[in-house]
Amino acid sequence: MIPIAHFMLISACLFCTGLYAVLTRRNAIQVLIGIEFMINAAVLNFVAFGRYDKISGGGQMFALFAIVLAAAGVAVALAIILNVYKYFKSIDPTKTNTLKD
Amino acid sequence: MGGLNLTENIALIALAAALLPLFSFVFILLSKKGGGANFALASVSLSLVLSLYLFSQLWNTAPVHQQFSWFLIGTVQFYAGVLLNNLSVLMMVMVSGISVLVHIYSREYMKNDPNISRYWAYLGLFCFSMLGLTISDSLLLIYIFWELVGFSSYLLIGFWYSKHTASQAAKKAFIMNRIGDLGFLTGILIIYTQFQTLDLHSLFGDGGLIGTSSIDGDLWISGSQQMPVIWLSIAGFAFFLGAMAKSAQFPLHTWLPDAMEGPTSVSSLIHAATMVAAGVFLIARIYPVFDPLILDLMVWIGAFTAFMAASIALTQNDIKRILAYSTISQLGFMVMAIGIGAYSESIFHLTTHAFFKCLLFLAAGSVIHQLHHYCEKNGHDFDCQDIRLMGGLRKRMPFAFWGMCIASAALVGLPLTSGFLSKDSILIRAFEWGAAREGVFVVLPWVMVLTSWLTAFYIFRLIFKVFLGESREIKMDRLVQINDSPAQMTSVLVILSFFCTFIVFDSNPVSFESSWLWNGFQISMIKEISIFHWLIPLILNFGSIVLIFVAYRIYVRDKGSNKMEVSWLYHVSNREWYFNEIYNFMFIRSVEKLSLLTYRFDRTVIDGLVLSVAALTKIISSIADWFDRNIIDGLVNSAGSLSRYIGRFFRNFQSGRLQNYLTTMLLLMLSFFILSYLI
Repeated sequence: MIPIAHFMLISACLFCTGLYAVLTRRNAIQVLIGIEFMINAAVLNFVAFGRYDKISGGGQMFALFAIVLAAAGVAVALAIILNVYKYFKSIDPTKTNTLKD
Repeated sequence: MGGLNLTENIALIALAAALLPLFSFVFILLSKKGGGANFALASVSLSLVLSLYLFSQLWNTAPVHQQFSWFLIGTVQFYAGVLLNNLSVLMMVMVSGISVLVHIYSREYMKNDPNISRYWAYLGLFCFSMLGLTISDSLLLIYIFWELVGFSSYLLIGFWYSKHTASQAAKKAFIMNRIGDLGFLTGILIIYTQFQTLDLHSLFGDGGLIGTSSIDGDLWISGSQQMPVIWLSIAGFAFFLGAMAKSAQFPLHTWLPDAMEGPTSVSSLIHAATMVAAGVFLIARIYPVFDPLILDLMVWIGAFTAFMAASIALTQNDIKRILAYSTISQLGFMVMAIGIGAYSESIFHLTTHAFFKCLLFLAAGSVIHQLHHYCEKNGHDFDCQDIRLMGGLRKRMPFAFWGMCIASAALVGLPLTSGFLSKDSILIRAFEWGAAREGVFVVLPWVMVLTSWLTAFYIFRLIFKVFLGESREIKMDRLVQINDSPAQMTSVLVILSFFCTFIVFDSNPVSFESSWLWNGFQISMIKEISIFHWLIPLILNFGSIVLIFVAYRIYVRDKGSNKMEVSWLYHVSNREWYFNEIYNFMFIRSVEKLSLLTYRFDRTVIDGLVLSVAALTKIISSIADWFDRNIIDGLVNSAGSLSRYIGRFFRNFQSGRLQNYLTTMLLLMLSFFILSYLI
């Protein structure tokens, strides 16, 4: 049986990779991909912890929910990126800095 | 009542005589036309007429004293007025008479001068000051006119002020006279302190305050006032100092030879009638104030001056300088005469000297004037006053020659001249005085005799060099171009020549006791010794004639051999006893050194102090500046920059970039976890 620590290690790696992508990429699509990495890291954890759940299948259920929600989120995010591109003629997050004072 | 009116009238006439030249001075200065010769001559002639009238009215009568209240200081009333006695009327006639002659002479002599109207104006001022001096009745008034005489002589000596030597000479005369003026002022202050009045009549008149003041032990008492007796001597000395400067007595004599830089007619006026006479006049006017100590001082100063000046005149080569030293020498005679108590003899000599010295100068001026004309006409340039360059002028200028001869005879004191009477009278008195004294005083008359002989030598040396022999600078064939001066000048010489003879002063050519002038001042107090009265003139004249003959041999026959010029005596005499050098060394150099010293002191110590204070302030302020800039400003600036850095630091979080916000969030959360883990 594969110990749980391996799952957690992988999901941590995934999360960190996603986080790194979110923080450093110069393309909004890639940032979105980084977010997907982080969501999937959480989903992997749900699935791995679901193995130890007394009510079987709880973890998998939550994973499915999360995937659905993530898909919806990506749709919204892509729409936002599309609008951003229309407005700024760029999807480089460093150029969309009108939030500053 | 009538008598009172007469007194008043006479005072008014005297006042008018004095004020006429002043009027001419003001008028000529104000008039735009220039010239003014006629006006000046008219006013001074009128002065002479008035003076002659006063003289005829007042000679040998009681003095006329008329005064009015002048001003009040506190409770002390000052008076100004006119005091006319024998002395002042004689001086008035002398001053105005000589002035008239000099005015006539100057019309020709100064004819071509571009500033001639200024000349006439100054002459007017000069005559006014001198006439005012003679009639003043108080020491204060005399002092005022005394200063005016000094000032107007300054103007006249420096008349050709564009000439450097002339302006220097004028300054020298003025400064030398200021030294004397200081003495005069001191004397006035002492007299005022003692007697509370400056009125001449009440001070020096018969039974005046000076006469009634007494000396008790060490105290000089007058009424309720008293002061140590030394002050009497100091007052006498102070007045004498004033007279010394004006009458060019040693050691204040050096201005007079330099004053020859003025026009010759002015020299003649200064020497004969006005300025130098003022000193002797002052001594005569306040004679009672001098105590025996000061009188002895006068004797020595006078005798020394007379001898020294005569010895200098022996070797001078400038015709006017010789005459200048001759004047100093004769003034020495007068001062010495007053010192020994020969008051009337001194005044007598002052009067006769005025005429013959005036004649000497005017004749010399005539020679200079004609030589100048010759130079201008022929384009020939030489020093027209240097007797070494003259010669052989006798035939060409007979008036000047004979005028000079008569005046010289009078100066030497040859018989039949006025000088014979006055000068011999002084010498006779000197011998009589010497006989009554002991010790060194016996030598004094012989010094005067020697001086008198020297006089004969130097004045005839001048005549022989100028008029006899052959011309040295001008070629013999050119000499015919030189003629006697125009009639206006020669007529003055003739008139003055007449005044140099005994006839004017005495009916008897050999005895001064019968002179009207001498008898006008009978206060001689020397015991008469009759043997001197014929012996002294004999010795004197014999010596003089021998010396004139010697001079003739040296300067005419031997053509002036230069054997003498190597001896040191010659140099001492030629360089005027080195007085100018000594004064230069003693006073001018030392003053210069002192001023250099004070200058250095000023530069190093005072300036150094100021500069070091300044430097110190500069250092302190630069420290303060540094402190201000770095500490105070540094605090303010660092507070500012601190907030700027803080602001900039926090600004970085508000970059507007989503990723940055996320990074920040991540870091904060991480640090929160780390912190919560650690705590």
